[in-house]
Amino acid sequence: MTMPRLAAAAVLAFAIGSGDVAAATSDSHKSPALVARLITAENGVAPEATAISGGLDLTISEGWKTYWRSPGEVGIPPSVDWTGSENVAGVEFLWPAPTRFTAFGIENFGYHDEVVFPLRISLRDAGKPAFLNAKVNLLVCSDICVPDDFILTLDLPAATGIDATAGARISDFAARVPDDGTASGIEVTSAFLAADRSKLTVTARSERGFSAPDIFPELGGQTTFGKPDIRLGDGNRLMWAQLPILGSTGDLPALAVTITDGARAATIGPALSDVAARPPFLLDRIVPGVSEVAWIALVALLGGLILNAMPCVLPVLSIKLASAVKAHGQSRTRLRSGFLMSAAGVIAFMWLLAAATLGAKTLGLSVGWGLQFQNPLFLAAMVVVLALFSANLFGAFEIALPASWQTQLARADGQPGLAGDFATGAFAAVLATPCSAPFLGTAVAFALSGRPVDIVVIFTALGVGLALPYLLVAATPGLVHRLPRPGRWMVWLKFVLGGLLALTAAWLFWVMQGVAGFAAVAGVAAGVAALVAVLSLRGLGQPLRLGAALALAAATLVAPAILRGTPTAATGPETGWVRFERGEIARLVSTGRVVLVDVTADWCLTCKANKALVLDRDPVRSALARPEVVPMLADWTRSDDAITRYLESFGRFGIPFNAVYGPAAPDGIVLPELLSSEAVLEAIERAGAVGATAAGG
Amino acid sequence: MTKKRTDVTLTRRKAVAGAVALATGYGAYRSVPVVFRPRIEFEPLDEPRGFRRIAGGKISTGFAPFAGISSNSAPDPLLERAARIVNDDICGALFGASKTDSDVVRLASFSDYYCPYCRVQTKRLSLIESRSGGRVRVVWHELPLLGDGSRLVAKAALAARRQGAYAAFQKRMMTASFQATPAYLAAVSNSLGLDYDRLDADMSDPDIDLELHVSAELARRFGFIGTPALVIGSTAVQGEIGERVTTELIAIERKEQRGICA
Repeated sequence: MTMPRLAAAAVLAFAIGSGDVAAATSDSHKSPALVARLITAENGVAPEATAISGGLDLTISEGWKTYWRSPGEVGIPPSVDWTGSENVAGVEFLWPAPTRFTAFGIENFGYHDEVVFPLRISLRDAGKPAFLNAKVNLLVCSDICVPDDFILTLDLPAATGIDATAGARISDFAARVPDDGTASGIEVTSAFLAADRSKLTVTARSERGFSAPDIFPELGGQTTFGKPDIRLGDGNRLMWAQLPILGSTGDLPALAVTITDGARAATIGPALSDVAARPPFLLDRIVPGVSEVAWIALVALLGGLILNAMPCVLPVLSIKLASAVKAHGQSRTRLRSGFLMSAAGVIAFMWLLAAATLGAKTLGLSVGWGLQFQNPLFLAAMVVVLALFSANLFGAFEIALPASWQTQLARADGQPGLAGDFATGAFAAVLATPCSAPFLGTAVAFALSGRPVDIVVIFTALGVGLALPYLLVAATPGLVHRLPRPGRWMVWLKFVLGGLLALTAAWLFWVMQGVAGFAAVAGVAAGVAALVAVLSLRGLGQPLRLGAALALAAATLVAPAILRGTPTAATGPETGWVRFERGEIARLVSTGRVVLVDVTADWCLTCKANKALVLDRDPVRSALARPEVVPMLADWTRSDDAITRYLESFGRFGIPFNAVYGPAAPDGIVLPELLSSEAVLEAIERAGAVGATAAGG
Repeated sequence: MTKKRTDVTLTRRKAVAGAVALATGYGAYRSVPVVFRPRIEFEPLDEPRGFRRIAGGKISTGFAPFAGISSNSAPDPLLERAARIVNDDICGALFGASKTDSDVVRLASFSDYYCPYCRVQTKRLSLIESRSGGRVRVVWHELPLLGDGSRLVAKAALAARRQGAYAAFQKRMMTASFQATPAYLAAVSNSLGLDYDRLDADMSDPDIDLELHVSAELARRFGFIGTPALVIGSTAVQGEIGERVTTELIAIERKEQRGICA
């Protein structure tokens, strides 16, 4: 008998408890931008209570935001007028740590999704009922900024009991209010304000180590800071930040610096230092030494040379050589200038690429080698070129590239064939792009992260490397006569070369499927098939055939844009691997796990090789299968800002990229681009070894 | 291949290929614009008559209109005068009295110096105007919705206009953060070479209040709930719109020459 009674009493108590929840929450104000209400942790004013813990609770609609107490370059912080409240001596309004919004170059700090501003409400008469009257003044912005002004009221009768839900919500956000650095373990060690008020340099330390810190200095309402340059050092225990000052007028109040890092945050008012702290490391990639540039240029040169043997480019070189063999009657001079022109064509195209890259960088676009493989239009264009050339080698039609270009162009400018030779070279360079991904990652990524002069040097080296065979022939035209005589073998060679090109095209189709879905692949395949068919209709008049071909080619290029569907790559990583999430790394490491991050993409052949030869093979495979090791896969097949930013934090602009994190290496051990089992195993060992010194990253 | 054999097949092949080319050409013609630039669709506004807005605009209701502007005082003669001015000649109130060439597209921009997106939009519109070679004219309306500071700067801007320095003042306000205090305004007007005493006196001129009321009345008629807002020719737009939509709307307005202000 007693048991049911007890149960009934518990239900009743629960019902009363939940009924009281309403008493600790004000009516909601609703607007398209947000839902706002006042909440208190206590159900009412308990006897002898002198203070109440409350919160201004905002649920912010998607796309909207509101601002911190220092809103940034422009904006208005929320404000509350408590006039009309009863038995309230004062309200302390607390500001949870903000997040940074950057839109069109304007830095703003504030909140999205949800925020609770904790309120410390002190009462005039202890234990007496109170009434809260909050006249709230908010600026909310999506692509429009709207003042949202409203009044929230909350009656606090004399009552005891705690509203667990409201209490949890308030304490959750109270924990996000920056402290003085004691509990958060953040200490500001120096702050230097340049005399001309051009920049602020701050250093901070945290023995726990920083993972992804941000900094929000406040220097009165008339000083604005730009985007900070944040660098970590000393095993991530040191943070160095430099912020440009965009504008500053009037007298300067004391400096306050808020530093956030994940869930913890501290606001500290440091004394100003006399000198700027030196950064823990210089972005030496920005100004590399001459020898380093020369070394990388050599790598680019070799990479370019090797490209000639790739299926994409080999046919062009072979045909060029074959045509030289055929053209027996050509003088040495003509032969030499022809090959020189081809080399010039290669280099010219590379310079064009360099110019385009520089242009993109100037415009602030994020550039990275391999990024072009994330673009369906580029893929479609490359497929069309490769398929046409391949079909041409198979003898499907005879707008023989580059032979007819040669004659056509020759006719056009009267210079027999030289323009055609130039075009051949440029064409070889165009064809080289799809095959360049596996080799040139390092060199090109280096160039992209460097100065303009680095870009020019690297791309030139690349071009010279690719053009080296042509330059060789130009230097010693006699070489041509050493080549075997033309004969039946040339037909077979053509078939082999055509096959290689078709394979490359097939690979690009596979990449495209990951980027733009199956429908796009089907569309482009149909377009290419029709294109080849039209071109091989020999009876057709030349103008009509060309017209139809051009129309078809255009339609094929547009196809992926229209047919772009859900890519199949969305299936997620294979079993055993977890999807990349930057925040998860630190959490897993804090539980003593070792995390291996593999940034890969369908179009990255080196990544595929790494996976097949090292990661998916014992002993690495079984090492990754151990419970304390978490393999994390970041798929960069399609562009992904989070992954791009992650790579940029290591100064990388291309992949493959692998890093191992662990308790002994919280900042990660970066693995070489070409993985080896030893390197991976050693990194896992080092990262996991508790007590060992963290190794560099 | 002999000539005779090819003739028949040739024509048939030609026909097929021609059809294919035509079909793909037409397909590309139809689909390319759809893919790369979605057409802007309009819907007419009931009020004010003769204007329109972009169909499917995101937000229009739900906010208390003009929370920032106090309207507690009962019959304010200035408010009534503002309403009359807008009633009598909405085009003049929007775009200014001067008649322009039919080739010129006129824009009325409503913004607040404390609103982040206004900064973006104002910079963009200034650029579009300066690049247009006189074919785009922007009339700047101050719509200070964000409290006292915002109203103070708006008045200072209008007062600066009387000294021919509106653009310079606006540009200064767009480059940094500021706190709208008399001391700050004095410093700014000094650095811009303005007469601060005159600026200060003009700021309390009822005519400047009237200008603000006219802008607010216009915004109320168009149902603008916040800033930035924009009237391009006959099209009203709320919120920050990208460069592409802005230039496209200008082109459409130039071509169509419609609405009561054309």
